[in-house]
Amino acid sequence: MRSKIKKNHEFFELSKFRRRFTLLVLLTLFCILFSRAFFLQGMQKDFLQQEGFERSNRNIELYAYRGKIYDRNNQILAASETVRSITLEPNRVEFKKGDKKKLANLLEMKIQTLNKKLKIKRNHIYLKRKVDPKIASKILALKIPGISSEKDYRRTYPDQEISAHVVGYAGNDGNGLEGVEYKKNDLLSGTHGYKKILIDARRRVVENLSEVNVPIDGKDVHLTIDKRLQHIAFQSLKKTIDDSEAISGSAILIDSKTGEILTMVNYPSYNPNKRMRKRTFVRNRVVTDMFEPGSTMKPISIAAALEKKVVNVNTKIDTGNGFYKVGRTLVTDTKPHGIITVKEILQTSSNIGVTKIAEKLSKKELWQTYSNFGIGNLTGLNFPGESKGIIRDYKKWRDRDHYSVSYGYSVSTTIAQLARAYTPFANKGEIKNLRLFKNDPIKIGQRVMSIETTKAVLKMMESVTKEGGTATQAAIPGYRVAGKTGTSRQFIEGKGYGAPGERKYNASFVGIAPISNPKFIMAIVIEDPTKGSNYGGVVAGPVFRKVVAEALKIYSIPQDGIEILDRADEDEKKEI
Amino acid sequence: MKLNLILFSLLIIFALVKINAHHLYRVNHHALEIEKQKTIELKDEQNQLLIEESSKSGNGRISEYARNKLKMNPPEKKQKKLIK
Repeated sequence: MRSKIKKNHEFFELSKFRRRFTLLVLLTLFCILFSRAFFLQGMQKDFLQQEGFERSNRNIELYAYRGKIYDRNNQILAASETVRSITLEPNRVEFKKGDKKKLANLLEMKIQTLNKKLKIKRNHIYLKRKVDPKIASKILALKIPGISSEKDYRRTYPDQEISAHVVGYAGNDGNGLEGVEYKKNDLLSGTHGYKKILIDARRRVVENLSEVNVPIDGKDVHLTIDKRLQHIAFQSLKKTIDDSEAISGSAILIDSKTGEILTMVNYPSYNPNKRMRKRTFVRNRVVTDMFEPGSTMKPISIAAALEKKVVNVNTKIDTGNGFYKVGRTLVTDTKPHGIITVKEILQTSSNIGVTKIAEKLSKKELWQTYSNFGIGNLTGLNFPGESKGIIRDYKKWRDRDHYSVSYGYSVSTTIAQLARAYTPFANKGEIKNLRLFKNDPIKIGQRVMSIETTKAVLKMMESVTKEGGTATQAAIPGYRVAGKTGTSRQFIEGKGYGAPGERKYNASFVGIAPISNPKFIMAIVIEDPTKGSNYGGVVAGPVFRKVVAEALKIYSIPQDGIEILDRADEDEKKEI
Repeated sequence: MKLNLILFSLLIIFALVKINAHHLYRVNHHALEIEKQKTIELKDEQNQLLIEESSKSGNGRISEYARNKLKMNPPEKKQKKLIK
């Protein structure tokens, strides 16, 4: 047995040369392997590790949703929707016949522009950003190598041009540039997160390589705006401006009890969903543009006189033949009114009457009243670009200013300020700050006038919308409405107020409804109406009637007549 | 010798368990990632539907539809009667 094993062993035994040769070959192979391993792991370590990481590791940005903007009834005014961005890898791109033209058509891009983009020497470029998902899927269906799509988000405004000035718009990077989008950008934005992940050969995410930085979504913003009324106000304003061939117009409707803004519209407007925007249309003119309010200031001037008890509602004042000279200034009325009461001065909007009342007050008393009514002060909105208005210190007033301020010249306000200035008449002498954000705390009103005075002025203002008043077109059937018209000449730099025939006017109206329990205050201004009348009552009055009549219906405000009948029933019961 | 064999076997078993646990972790993690992705997609869809709802229930669209298709026009001044 032993000898047999030995024999086998002898059979497999290599010759000395073969042994050495095999050893040499193995050694050589080992050297090759060792040197290769040394080359890869020692000399090319960083490069290979980098390559490996690039294939298996990804840094993913976790998108934080920008908050939505809602109206008071939780209707969306602004939200982010998913879109696609079409990307291109110029090195990989290969077009079949006709594909390039199809792609250019789908991207709504000229073929020359597409060719320019194809020549860019970069690994990754955006062909077009924020493309509609349906179009993106059509592009991907072309199956062009090197063309792919990425998920992206686009801000959308369903209300389009109607609420554009309030909501504003956000840029491509998602940051707010105008309106509430700009004002509340920090709150709406949120913080994007990120995570580092490991993917396997089948491109599945299999592990988080670092701690996940969780995205924090932006907070939603709820406005006090009522989308339904916003639509009505916009349509009504648009029709008035088109009919009167005016340049522009603005309107604001507020809840007189809380100061909440229900509508804030401007026309012409812009569509925030489109990128092309004319700079002039972007401003929210309700809060940015100042104008001389004209006769809409008269109720405040008369309230000052009543408060100081220099006149009462029935005091008779001689307005003469419609011309009254104060120093070198000639004050005129549209027609002679003769001797009229303070109530009739407001009803007929007599400049001479108000001037004579202002003469009974000192400059300081007048200035103090206007200032208390918020003229020359911010409204509390802090809206981007809000103007304070202009009312000079009474110490700097010339004699002429003393009188002209009383009928709304030598003073500038915004339409929002004017609406706020009427809140004391609707709140028994308390002025309310304006509010646009539902979550802002309600501030307690500040008393600026006695209850008796504001009640008296409110009653006087009711006569303005009645027969013989200047704003009969603002009357709403079934409701008692108070208001004041204003038709002021525009001051043009270098030309002054212009010669007769060349003058431009601002037609305005501020109204309160219903008088029995005031709920709404609306202020409207129409810039330079050229067709038909340019009087505030005729041009702006109907806008008030249409919008407030709808608001009264929507908010189920009982008619004044019904309330009176109810009271009459109660009185009868008491008598029985 | 026997103890060495037992220990070696244990080592192999624990190594396999570890590999299996890691594999299961990766499978579950992948499933979780898919669910997270679905959440994002559903959130996007919800946003999209909210926007569509807001656009389609817009007063302007309803008003246009009522006037043009349903021929619902507000009464003229002569047709109105105030009941006191």
